[in-house]
Amino acid sequence: MKLWAHYNKASTIITISVLFAGALIYFFAINYIAQQQLNRDLTEEFEEVEDYVKLNGQLPKQVDFDEDQTTFTKTSQTSLKTRYFDAPYCDPKEKKTEAGRAIRSLISLKGQHYITTITISRKGTEYLIQIIGAITLALMVGLLVILFITNRYILNGLWRPFYDTLNAIKTFNISDSNPFHLKSDKVDEFNELNKVVETMSLRVKNDYVNLKHFTENASHEMLTPLAVITAKLDTLIQDETLKPEQFEQINDIYSAAGKLSRLNQSLLLLVKIENNLVDDAEELNLDGLINQKTRQFSELAQSKDILVSARLEEKQIKASKYLIDILLNNLFSNAIRHNTQNGRLIITQTADKLVFQNTGAEKPLDAGTLFERFQKGQKSEGTGLGLTIVKNICNLYHWDISYSYELPMHTFTISF
Amino acid sequence: MKLLIIEDEQALRDNITNYFNEDGNICESCSCLAVAITKLSNYDYDCVLLDIGLPDGDGFAILEYLKTQMKNEAVLIISARNSLDNKLKGLNIGADDYLTKPFHLAELKARVVAIYRRKAFNSNNKLVFNEIVINLLGRTVDVNQTPVILTRKEYDMLLYFIANKGKVISKNAIAEHLWGDEMDMHNNFDFIYTHIKNLRKKLLDAKCNDYLSSIYGIGYKFKAE
Repeated sequence: MKLWAHYNKASTIITISVLFAGALIYFFAINYIAQQQLNRDLTEEFEEVEDYVKLNGQLPKQVDFDEDQTTFTKTSQTSLKTRYFDAPYCDPKEKKTEAGRAIRSLISLKGQHYITTITISRKGTEYLIQIIGAITLALMVGLLVILFITNRYILNGLWRPFYDTLNAIKTFNISDSNPFHLKSDKVDEFNELNKVVETMSLRVKNDYVNLKHFTENASHEMLTPLAVITAKLDTLIQDETLKPEQFEQINDIYSAAGKLSRLNQSLLLLVKIENNLVDDAEELNLDGLINQKTRQFSELAQSKDILVSARLEEKQIKASKYLIDILLNNLFSNAIRHNTQNGRLIITQTADKLVFQNTGAEKPLDAGTLFERFQKGQKSEGTGLGLTIVKNICNLYHWDISYSYELPMHTFTISF
Repeated sequence: MKLLIIEDEQALRDNITNYFNEDGNICESCSCLAVAITKLSNYDYDCVLLDIGLPDGDGFAILEYLKTQMKNEAVLIISARNSLDNKLKGLNIGADDYLTKPFHLAELKARVVAIYRRKAFNSNNKLVFNEIVINLLGRTVDVNQTPVILTRKEYDMLLYFIANKGKVISKNAIAEHLWGDEMDMHNNFDFIYTHIKNLRKKLLDAKCNDYLSSIYGIGYKFKAE
């Protein structure tokens, strides 16, 4: 649920209940005031009647008070508490009964007591209450509509900077070298939020850059000692007085040094791709490159009697030759290295897809971690970075790479 | 061949010097920019091996110095930096080749010899080793005036062996030379064996001396005599 909807819900409930309670109080208050007013009027009328009786020594006639209906009833009671009450009122002109208010009290004339009842119409006050009620209702509806519109549009407008910030955070790319900048706003809270987000992104980016520099520097620093090891070994084997066992040891050191060196190069390459440092994109003929690689790897494939078949459509891509070379190298060497004796390798190139299918171990690989660093099979001789590099190259060019397994083929698909 | 090795890592410098010295070359070495420039201003060299990261500055300064002084030394850059920019930058301002650390001494030697050949014998495209005559332009090989047809890998290997004659070359070095480190052969050296067997057979068939010998499973040696 959107913020404005939440806000709307809350404000509608509160508004309606407050208005309802208000209207009730209002209604009773007005009713009370109107009743007091009527009572005062009735008292006045009664006093007038009393005055008249005192002055004239007789009961007044109906005509003198034509708006009111006054009745006098002889009584033997000597005292009666003055009482106000609602009573029907007969409109003499329209001949119909409507709501009225009455006073009943005692008047004494020449020793005789009369119960006097004066009734007046309440039509005027009822009308007033109705009008006030209608206006209140109209106000209530108007207020609700205005609140709704306000919440919907003004609130949305007010929160605009928040949504801008949210979108900016969504598209935040840690490896993007451009500084992360958010628009400033009139609202202090949003400015503060933006400032915090900017500071945080800056810190994250700095950490990331430091980490990358560390990887790069560490890898570079390792290269010179590696070069020393290799050079020493190259010199050592010139000594032909060494025993075969010693040569065997040297061979192992060669292998280890070679592996370390490949690992290093892979790490450096990853840093380079992630830093977007490879920017020598050119128009490449992918099918031509694949054909070339197929020839290059034919020896390796033959050593396992792997049947390589390629069905290639013409495809132009714009990418770095260096990276595409590495991409194909990794795909080919994986597909051959993890293949079975007498296995198969099928390469299919269409306008929007490049598919490598190969036979191999008869169980699917974990597609979730396959492309992560240092994920490799137990028997793998590789660095564990090959597929990570492939994935990173694909990411760089906004291609999608996926893995699937359908007996007996392991399939890697790059969608352009 | 007269060489100047500019490399600040002493262990590496010594090994390179030793490796090149045994072949009748004259090797001088230094570890910093200032000494290198003094040496270059006083003497002429055939080839300069240049490390880019030096303690007192960037090795590119040497390239600029050679360019402004109109000196004709061939330059091979040895660098731990293998970024593409550096590579292009180096080759654009006058380096002849580029080798990334770590490298095999045999590879370094082969590269230096190749550069030297390009620079020194512009007119003469023939490489003669006893009865073997290699036409570098046409990439053909004659043994005792009889043409020997070699595959590309066998030809590359022969050149590589002759450049490193008298040295034991490890299988790793040969594999890297023939397939490049990108191919990642994963210590599967059967391929090398096949290629060497074929090369040796072809040479022997042409009545060539048997120069190639296997050394204890670690590598091969091409006899110098």
